[in-house]
Amino acid sequence: MDILFFAALIVYFAAAVIQLCGIALGKNAWCRIARWALLGGFVLHTAFTAWRGVVAQRIPLANQFEFASGFAWSAALLGLLLHRRLRQEWVLAASIPVAFLVLSYAAFQPMEIKELMPALRSTWFALHIGSATFSYAAFAISGGLGVYYLMQLKKGRAETDVRLLQTDHMIYRLICLGFLLLTVVILSGAIWAEQAWSRWWSWDPKETWALITWILYAIFLHQRIRKKWQGKRMAWFAIIAVICVLFTFAGVNKLLPGLHSYAV
Amino acid sequence: MQFGMALLLIVILCSVAGSLIVQQRSAMEYVTRYGEKQADLILSLGLDHVFSTPWFIAVMILLCLNLTFCSIVRLPKTVRQAKALLHRAGHAAADHSLTDKQHEKLTAFLQQRGFSTRQSGESTVYYKHLFGFYGSFLTHLSFLLLLIVGALVMVTATVTDTTVMPGDTITLEDGTLLTVNAFRIEDETGSLDYTSLLTLTNPNTQRTLSREIRVNEPMNFGPYKVYQQTYGTAGKVLIENLENGAAEEIYLTESCFLTLNGVDGLFYQALYPGYVQEEDGTVTLITSSSYAYHDPVYDVLSVAEGTMTPVLAFPEDEMTLGNVRFTFMEPAAYPGLRIKTIHSELLYALYAVFALMVIGLALCFFAVPTAITVTREGYALHSSKPQTGLMIDIEACLTQEEN
Repeated sequence: MDILFFAALIVYFAAAVIQLCGIALGKNAWCRIARWALLGGFVLHTAFTAWRGVVAQRIPLANQFEFASGFAWSAALLGLLLHRRLRQEWVLAASIPVAFLVLSYAAFQPMEIKELMPALRSTWFALHIGSATFSYAAFAISGGLGVYYLMQLKKGRAETDVRLLQTDHMIYRLICLGFLLLTVVILSGAIWAEQAWSRWWSWDPKETWALITWILYAIFLHQRIRKKWQGKRMAWFAIIAVICVLFTFAGVNKLLPGLHSYAV
Repeated sequence: MQFGMALLLIVILCSVAGSLIVQQRSAMEYVTRYGEKQADLILSLGLDHVFSTPWFIAVMILLCLNLTFCSIVRLPKTVRQAKALLHRAGHAAADHSLTDKQHEKLTAFLQQRGFSTRQSGESTVYYKHLFGFYGSFLTHLSFLLLLIVGALVMVTATVTDTTVMPGDTITLEDGTLLTVNAFRIEDETGSLDYTSLLTLTNPNTQRTLSREIRVNEPMNFGPYKVYQQTYGTAGKVLIENLENGAAEEIYLTESCFLTLNGVDGLFYQALYPGYVQEEDGTVTLITSSSYAYHDPVYDVLSVAEGTMTPVLAFPEDEMTLGNVRFTFMEPAAYPGLRIKTIHSELLYALYAVFALMVIGLALCFFAVPTAITVTREGYALHSSKPQTGLMIDIEACLTQEEN
């Protein structure tokens, strides 16, 4: 059934190419095709995830491959939900490439299904890791929209243009969503750690970098509210902060071993 | 606020340093890893234990003070703002004009979005999420409480690590008896999972509770929380006094001399999980500390008549030294338990703070207090935060009407 995974990957790739061409050439019809392709890829991806969950008899979020796949799935789902809400093709400009790139990263990870290790058998597993996938997806899409925003500026759109105002607002809302979910990740992780290891917080690299990411976005949100950081500055921040998110997601596992090393 | 941001930046820098530089190691390890000069710098700045340095704790205390100002001190102002919004909206003039059709469309749109209404003279005030004013207050307050209650939970909790042999009982501080009935290492799927079956009894209340504990499933009993922390393997020997027939099984966890007369006896040195026998008959002991003791070997010295003889003994081997017979038995696995005492009130307070933080953030981001003054001629939007999304939606709704 791995064919479902690779089929989803190919469809996401096709969607990303069509989407980028559509944006570059200003063809809205192409963007619509990309959306349908994203929906198709999402259905395949959902089928693969469900199948993997049934075979593994657990939520498939236990290792780096499964987490990355969940991350990509969340990005696709968020994109589709945003489109449903706004009815604008451009909202998928970030979620399609994010879904494709993250799923590509997953393809390079070991895919075999393993028994869930005892340390992960907890009622907090679904909430802690599930909210992390959606949080990372929201941050990644906000970063992608940051790129889209800067590209549109370069193409000559004014910062007061409705689409750019909408993009800026969407970046902000996605960061709010990601921040709220990251808070849930950190708090549920603390409760889980106390159940498992008797310590709420142990300054493990993964914990520490999740906190760094949280503080980084907290600083940004304050600046946005008090100093009215908007537009170009907001877009740049969303892009730069994603680097921190990606390091927390993948870099820490590879470079800074700790209590979360089973996530590799 | 800039001071608060500066403090948060310092926390970020400390956290980066604390995650990149290995923590709580010996001075020699820092010299080996980073070189002498860098090690000197790391040690002198306390970067080898960043999160417990006085300056990091000072930053956290300053952060608490800052949060106090951001939450409690600002509360009266927040209450005033919340009260003033509807009043302000009721007396505000429209700053966007509306045609009759647009007016109709806008009121329908606002009702569809769940806005409540209030009449104020000629104008109607549509308002929503007024409680959202307290989102920022709740978030800052919860963060402050998190630091305070979290610190209290950590300071007041006592943690004791102990090992208990299967079948043994220990007495806790208040007289509670803790018995390890059994311990096993594998679970039903074959994964390494360390499980202890415990019984706790409070002799004062006669309350008894038995259950299995493993990772993620500690046992709560009164003020105690018992965790399955580690495990170990101990040698086991049956000692029989040949003079009076008395016998006792003893666990061997560390080097010891077992004797009756103080002269002859058995000196236990170590237990090895297995051995490899070469073709020439020599035996190489396996020293890996793997959990599996498939071919256990006891490394002992027999002491008799003033002579010490090294001996490798296997389960079921017997040795008679003086008037004592030693029978080596299969080693036994035993649990390492962590016993934590916690004040349940503080624990519930901490959970409440967690919930408060999530609620506060949700209010902050998704319940933005908004009031819209609508008259026949136009409308005006009032909010404590930029309402770009709503403005765009209203514009889209009105434009659609015109088309």
